[in-house]
Amino acid sequence: MSYELIAILMFSSMMLMLMTGQRVFGAIGGIASIAALTLWGTGGSDIPFSAAMKVMKWYPMLTLPMFIFMGYVLSESRLADDLYKMFHVWMGPINGGLAIGTIGLMVLISAMNGLSVAGMAIGATIALPELLKRGYDKRMVTGVVQAGSSLGILVPPSVVLVLYAMIARQPVGQLWLAGILPGLMMAGLFILYIYIRCRIQPELGPALSEEDVSSVPRAEKIRLLRSGLLPLTIFASMMVPFLNGWTSLVESSAIGALAAFIAAVLKGRMTREVFETSTRMTLAISCMFMWIVLAALGFGAVFDGLGAVKAIDNLFTEQLGLDPWVILILMQLSFLLMGTFLDDTAMLVIVAPLYVPLVKVLGFDLIWYGVLYTITTQIAYMTPPFGYNLFLMRAMAPPEIGIKDIYSSIIPFVLVMLGSLILIMVFPQIAMWLPNYVYGK
Amino acid sequence: QAPIKWRLQTYSGAPLGAHVIKPQIEAFNKAANGEMEIELFYADQLVPTGELFRALQNGTLDAVQSDDATMASPADISDFGGYFPFSSRYSLDLPVLFNRYGLNEIWQEAYDDIEGVEWLGAGAWDPLHIFTTEKKIESLDDMRGLRVFGVPTAGRFLSRYGMIPVTVPWEDVEVALQTGELDGVAWCGFTEAYEVGWADICKYALLNNVTGAWCGSYFANSDSWAKVPPHLQELFKMSMDQSHYYRQVWYWGGEADLRVNGDKLELSTIPAEEWETVVGDAAGFWDELASRNERSARVIEIFKKYRDTMQKAGVPYRY
Amino acid sequence: MLKIATTYVRVVDRVNYVLGRIMMYSLFAMIAILLWSTISKQMFVVPSYWTLEMAQFALVAYYLVGGPYSIQMGSNVRMDLFYGEWSDRKKAWVDSFTVLLLIFYLGVLLYGGIDSTRYSLEYNERAPTLWRPLLWPVKTVMCFGIFMMLLQAVSELIKDIAKLREVEL
Ligand SMILES: NC(=[NH2+])NCCC[C@H](N)C(=O)O
Ligand code: NA
Ligand code: NA
Repeated sequence: MSYELIAILMFSSMMLMLMTGQRVFGAIGGIASIAALTLWGTGGSDIPFSAAMKVMKWYPMLTLPMFIFMGYVLSESRLADDLYKMFHVWMGPINGGLAIGTIGLMVLISAMNGLSVAGMAIGATIALPELLKRGYDKRMVTGVVQAGSSLGILVPPSVVLVLYAMIARQPVGQLWLAGILPGLMMAGLFILYIYIRCRIQPELGPALSEEDVSSVPRAEKIRLLRSGLLPLTIFASMMVPFLNGWTSLVESSAIGALAAFIAAVLKGRMTREVFETSTRMTLAISCMFMWIVLAALGFGAVFDGLGAVKAIDNLFTEQLGLDPWVILILMQLSFLLMGTFLDDTAMLVIVAPLYVPLVKVLGFDLIWYGVLYTITTQIAYMTPPFGYNLFLMRAMAPPEIGIKDIYSSIIPFVLVMLGSLILIMVFPQIAMWLPNYVYGK
Repeated sequence: QAPIKWRLQTYSGAPLGAHVIKPQIEAFNKAANGEMEIELFYADQLVPTGELFRALQNGTLDAVQSDDATMASPADISDFGGYFPFSSRYSLDLPVLFNRYGLNEIWQEAYDDIEGVEWLGAGAWDPLHIFTTEKKIESLDDMRGLRVFGVPTAGRFLSRYGMIPVTVPWEDVEVALQTGELDGVAWCGFTEAYEVGWADICKYALLNNVTGAWCGSYFANSDSWAKVPPHLQELFKMSMDQSHYYRQVWYWGGEADLRVNGDKLELSTIPAEEWETVVGDAAGFWDELASRNERSARVIEIFKKYRDTMQKAGVPYRY
Repeated sequence: MLKIATTYVRVVDRVNYVLGRIMMYSLFAMIAILLWSTISKQMFVVPSYWTLEMAQFALVAYYLVGGPYSIQMGSNVRMDLFYGEWSDRKKAWVDSFTVLLLIFYLGVLLYGGIDSTRYSLEYNERAPTLWRPLLWPVKTVMCFGIFMMLLQAVSELIKDIAKLREVEL
């Protein structure tokens, strides 16, 4: 069988199986196993398991449960309540201020966990009801929470960047640093959008009334400012020893998990129930990720060993003979397209191994590309029909917010994200300046 | 007739593989003229390095290029693959040991005992130096507590000076150096350190070398090997020799050049008297291994005989 | 027949539930190991060299043995582009076919696992690290986790069939 045929066969049957709604790892692993048994020849049956040994040896994997745990502790224990109040009283008086404050809140939450679920949960339970009560437009606020929470995977720590690092074999530390400025820039653009929009249509985000504002005494306002120290402390407890080389990546992640836990205990929020839920959900989400990674690594090895990777390389570089930038843009577009219906981890572990070597050959920087990939994933989370954040939002939103609202709420934000994507493509320095500065290139 | 297809996985990552094996495979494929085609895969690409041996035995892979120790070969002489402390001083020592002093026969014997795997031959690679990111090594004491990416046997030997050899997948070494998981590498000589970019991250290089040459081998799955007609078997063995020769030149020339003209690493040495103690300790290590089994005893016997001969031969063999 | 099926589902689900509940707390074992690694680096010149591998073993047990419980919790994502819209009955219908693919995968995984464990035992395989731990224990745990996952997948199949036949298990 020709390489091209194998590539097409394996890929399309996997897609088909994914469409039937079986668990993603089952579909990927199943197709990989069938191909291994039928096409590999002797010894093919050992490949799926040897992928498990690969996963074991890849030590940054250990950070996954840690970062996930941090997120759940944060949202379950409602540690962020004070943070929300802080933004509330300080930003409330301007038009759209609460929405802007929510973005700020999301940035801080992003610095304390590796996924976007935590931000989503906090946004949907704390911010959403408050904002609706104050007469904010429901599409505006739903969009704000979804877009803001997606920063969780761009601002370090980030589970997606850790997974990308595994596939692309790039230093996690540099990737994290590379995510910071783009994350902040994107947050800034969200804020800019909200500000301008509410300038034009003040009814979308009414300012807090005079009495609302003065009901909070000045001392309380100052006290609330201090609550902003919590995320900074947690972030620093991980990042400072890490960047100084005192602790390794995985050790830092354990420190982060511990720090979040201690913070919750000190604030008296670590109830039995919070503890149980956080621990259980960490297992659930970690298993989801790791089984997909396991299955996809097996798929990748079979795909590669059967020569299918060559077929793809060949197609992009030789047969189409395209300009590097055109190829890069095509790859981004294909990610965006796939992201509308494919799980992001599956997308990463299956497609990135094909793209990453190509990106390298074309002479692009893989750290920078990791940022592009992450933003694409963020967009994928929010675009129908398949998007985690959409699902989460649907599950967590109060009843007055319908599915239509949820879908249309993301449009302006997705446009802003696309804009950021383009900005970072045109000005790679936005991503690369910080890591180059810190690692002194 | 359809060509015979092989999957060969090497211990090395792509940048290194470009020198240590790729030219060979390309030449072989061309010379085989469509009768046989070897597909080359790099470190951990199909199978993680720890599983290499079993994958070879089962036929998941048809052939492997690696040292016995790294691929965790179950042969009782596997400790002597890779870097074995002070077994050689120069890269030419190794082929001499194998071809003139009887190591070939011992290896052959050892692998005849193991089912499913054919040992095809060994060759020399580069010397072993220690490269570090933060700590300059100027005495044995400076080694204490350093986590280094290291090959198994030499790593175990160095651990008596407090050095901690850590194994991570080859592709991840660069990352691990940057994340602080590793403080250095004790895995190669200058040529590789520069070639694969570790010299960019490490600051210091220790000139004292624990071994003169890494000892790597080629292996094939027995069934896969048996299916190859004699003339292609011969061709493959010739291509192995071609690869050995390529490396001799590349490493020997590169090492000297980079020590003198390379500017990425600051050089340091451990004072001669102190280093003598290390050489002395190696004798104990040798005896320890000799007591493991009869075959190992024979290998050590040969090392000793060779060392004596070389010392007596004097300049330029030994100084 | 029905009785066997009922017992099977009950026993498997129960055992996997208990295993999962135990595994989910092993998260703290991992945290502890990594913290010890951090501390030992500051305290001793030569830090503990077994920590990373030990943590890796723990992680393997965590997700493989904890896997069946994650299936029970329904946390393994599906692409619900179409699936999400279907009725429960239709889901059960399609699932009872597609789950065979999952079962097949787990079977191949298990086969490779057993083979690899057998090899470890035969040659007394050790990790080529300074610590040199024997590898058969962790591989045995892996096989066990995969095996329990397989049992869980079969249990899911039985539950789907029961749903289609409208019988109570
Ligand atoms: N591969 C996945 N299943 N990813 C789920 C994570 C999505 C989610 N929005 C998050 O970032 O937290
Ligand atoms: Na984050
Ligand atoms: Na999407």
